[in-house]
Amino acid sequence: MTGQRPHGIGRRGLPAAAAAWTALPWPPLPWPPLPWATRPARAAAGRVVCIGAALTECVFALGEGPHLVARDSSSRFPAAALALPDIGYMRALPPEGIASLSPDLVILSEEAGPAEAVAVLRATGLPMRTLPDGAGPGAAEAKLRGVGAALGRDAEPVARQVAADWAMLDAPLAGLRARPRVLFVLSLARGAPLVSGEGTHADAAIAAAGGVNPVRGWRGYRPLSAESAATLAPDVILMMDFALQEAGGAAAVFATPALAVTPAARAGRVVALDGGLMLGFGPRAAHGRRALAALLHPDAALPPLPERPWTAA
Amino acid sequence: MIAAEALGVDSPVRGAAPLLRSVDLAARAGEVLALIGPNGAGKSTLLRALSGELRPSRGRVLLRGRPLAGWPPPALARARAVMEQQVSLAFPLPAREVVALGRLPWRGTPGMALDRAAVGEAMERAGVAALAARTYATLSGGERQRVQFARALAQLHGAAEGALLLMDEPTASLDPRHRGLLLRAARGLARDGLAVILVLHDLNEAAFVADRVGILAEGRLVASGPAAAVLRREVLREVYGIAFRPVEGGLLPDLAG
Amino acid sequence: MDGGVRPAAGGAAAPAPAPGPDRTAGAPPSATRVLALGGLLLAAAMLAGLLLGPAAVTARGLLATLLDAAGLAPLPAEHARDAAVLGVIRAPRVLLAAMLGAGLAAAGTVMQGLFRNPLADPALLGISAGAALAAVAAIVFGHGLFGGLFGPQAGALGLWLLPVAAFAGGLAITFALSRLGTRAGVTSVPLLLLSGVALNALCGALTGLLIFMADERQARDITFWTLGSLAGARWPQVPVALALVLLPALLLLPLARPLNALVLGESGAFHLGVDVERLKRVAVVLSAVTVAAGVAAAGLVGFVGLVVPHLVRLAFGADNRLVLPGSMLLGASLLVLADLAARWLAAPAELPVGVVTALLGAPFFLWLLRRRAGLA
Repeated sequence: MTGQRPHGIGRRGLPAAAAAWTALPWPPLPWPPLPWATRPARAAAGRVVCIGAALTECVFALGEGPHLVARDSSSRFPAAALALPDIGYMRALPPEGIASLSPDLVILSEEAGPAEAVAVLRATGLPMRTLPDGAGPGAAEAKLRGVGAALGRDAEPVARQVAADWAMLDAPLAGLRARPRVLFVLSLARGAPLVSGEGTHADAAIAAAGGVNPVRGWRGYRPLSAESAATLAPDVILMMDFALQEAGGAAAVFATPALAVTPAARAGRVVALDGGLMLGFGPRAAHGRRALAALLHPDAALPPLPERPWTAA
Repeated sequence: MIAAEALGVDSPVRGAAPLLRSVDLAARAGEVLALIGPNGAGKSTLLRALSGELRPSRGRVLLRGRPLAGWPPPALARARAVMEQQVSLAFPLPAREVVALGRLPWRGTPGMALDRAAVGEAMERAGVAALAARTYATLSGGERQRVQFARALAQLHGAAEGALLLMDEPTASLDPRHRGLLLRAARGLARDGLAVILVLHDLNEAAFVADRVGILAEGRLVASGPAAAVLRREVLREVYGIAFRPVEGGLLPDLAG
Repeated sequence: MDGGVRPAAGGAAAPAPAPGPDRTAGAPPSATRVLALGGLLLAAAMLAGLLLGPAAVTARGLLATLLDAAGLAPLPAEHARDAAVLGVIRAPRVLLAAMLGAGLAAAGTVMQGLFRNPLADPALLGISAGAALAAVAAIVFGHGLFGGLFGPQAGALGLWLLPVAAFAGGLAITFALSRLGTRAGVTSVPLLLLSGVALNALCGALTGLLIFMADERQARDITFWTLGSLAGARWPQVPVALALVLLPALLLLPLARPLNALVLGESGAFHLGVDVERLKRVAVVLSAVTVAAGVAAAGLVGFVGLVVPHLVRLAFGADNRLVLPGSMLLGASLLVLADLAARWLAAPAELPVGVVTALLGAPFFLWLLRRRAGLA
């Protein structure tokens, strides 16, 4: 689902009155011969709005951070991103808010929505690039290449370094005998842990770090009943660090009835990691993999990964 | 003129006694008919059946010789008006607007031209002209009743000969002066060619206003005829189960004003 | 009709009672004045909605856009953004907001009149809840179902799945209501109301069940949809809203007089020649269509239907011939302005418009209640 869709989506089969209106020459507009702005663009290479945390990291990793004029609320790394105007939650896009930033390019995760607002943005003729939000081996490189193509920038050097870092962990992790069952808990809201099923980034992260997600048979993040938790028998509870804090620490986690009866509770094993690092599958994917693997396999000898410009906040 | 033929109305409660049994009743143009009877005798039910609001279980009601069921609602509303007991409004309307509601059935007819005059005259006649701008909800019970009377008058303004005015305890909340006023107005309407049927509890008022009196008891019309013939001690005793005697030392208002 | 009854002047006239204090002095406002005022307000609101917002549009840009739209002059490239903001983002949005506001306010006025209850609003009968249930079902199941049925076409068609489902859900509830609220051919208002309460609860429970079945992202989508938004407003929706939101609202206008009669109660209205059964049916069906279509277009936008009729009544009295058109104009204006605020206040992010209407509406309503006790 990379690349731009043709303009005029949703105009098919449209009633006559609207057809007459849309026949007027608004969309598609003459793009991109000139930057939109009535005020001068900040950078010669254009103004970029990026929606999606990993994609924002990619933009910075490729050295194009200065061209960013806005981010979504999930894009919180690196620190420079936080200084940018926030267009809000990526599933509630504001068409006019984005247009008001006079972007020359909108980089959009395919997870962004709602579809109606995306359709409005498309109809404005704004140059948009929708990129997949994959997880697992190779996902980071795909994002970097996609962002690089959108920005007209060679992403290969960065992509290759990320791939090399990732590969450094393959052999040590493959050699591990223990495969802990790791239950990822997104939040503990209302006593029902929201846990990751198949197809989630957490599922991919656990697999990549040499663990096993015990949840099988359903997709997405869903609430877990106490009985199912017992049958899943996780050895480790994995959380994002802010979620663990919000929940009130390890003691509170294991006080939750659903989790109290698990092997993880008996061993007192709850580990937490920064969400963007662990689940983003952006430029920091390899470092995230190592950090998680170190938490899941405290006794394993994992090679240190080199510091990279994009891993520093 | 209006006529009820063998009118019967069953109770909505299964197995309960009928509310009305085989009532035959008629009122001619120019006539005031008062209905009296103990509580629960079926007076209001009879009025509702006569107005067309309640479909009778048996028998039928004819207005100007035509069964009520065959009247289109607006035409019916131009031929009969109803003044109900204790009407409260859902929204605050000024008294004038309430009276003007009486002209609703005349929309789209030549009678519409009379709207303004009808409302004005009705308010004068009911003695509520001074209340015109007052919000209905701020009026006293008696004032509301007079406004409803004016509304009914406005509704029948310009109606053809033999129109019907039904009133359910129209004097209930009125002071003695306004009782007389309303009853004299009712007589005046009859003189003008209306048939007026009203439910009353005050026998003095019934005797004053009515050409004929009908007495209801347990859903039956037990007596009907000229007031002097019906309002007799033995009849009343039979119906109400108490004794009646001439007033000594008390005062009754002079309803004739 | 000859031989009319003409009351003899003075025949039974009494001396007028002493004039009491005139608590609501002043002539009733004329309909033309109210409509002119409302029309002016709406025009101003729509103009503001079109010209204002986080994306600043210059006068030149507006002119160039208008010339281009009229086919008089090609659009200069430097005004491309203005044209897109005005023509693609704002214009359909302002039109949809206006139609939706008018429809919700009209439905609210009619529901309050029909139920003789100033607290009635379009949500009361469960029509919004039914629409919401279907919309939530579309969010939870729609992607898989629709993607499977239509393959690559699902993107374009998928934009219509949720609104069509919501509209159908609202109508299904209306159908159920008319069956449940009618006994022996007579629609009972209390029965209708209680059935509405029960259907509301049922739809709420089923929606809760769907939310339980939803994954985290769907649950958040549902939350945002529930808060109402016009961010997805596009031109193809405009004619649909014209037919399903504005038209039924306009068709409610002739009900003003019969609704006036209904202030006397159902029997009182019948005595005035109103076909009360027909009135109830027409009022419920038209309100349901406009509300269901409105929910379909923008999610749940609260408070307009409840508050706007009261504002108009406080200003101009309770005559529905003024309240109904006045509420439509005021409701349209308010929703256009609320949407402007939604676009602008948190820019470049956007507030859910339902949050804005409730945020503005609720305190204002409370202030009004304190100031003018006696709405009923």
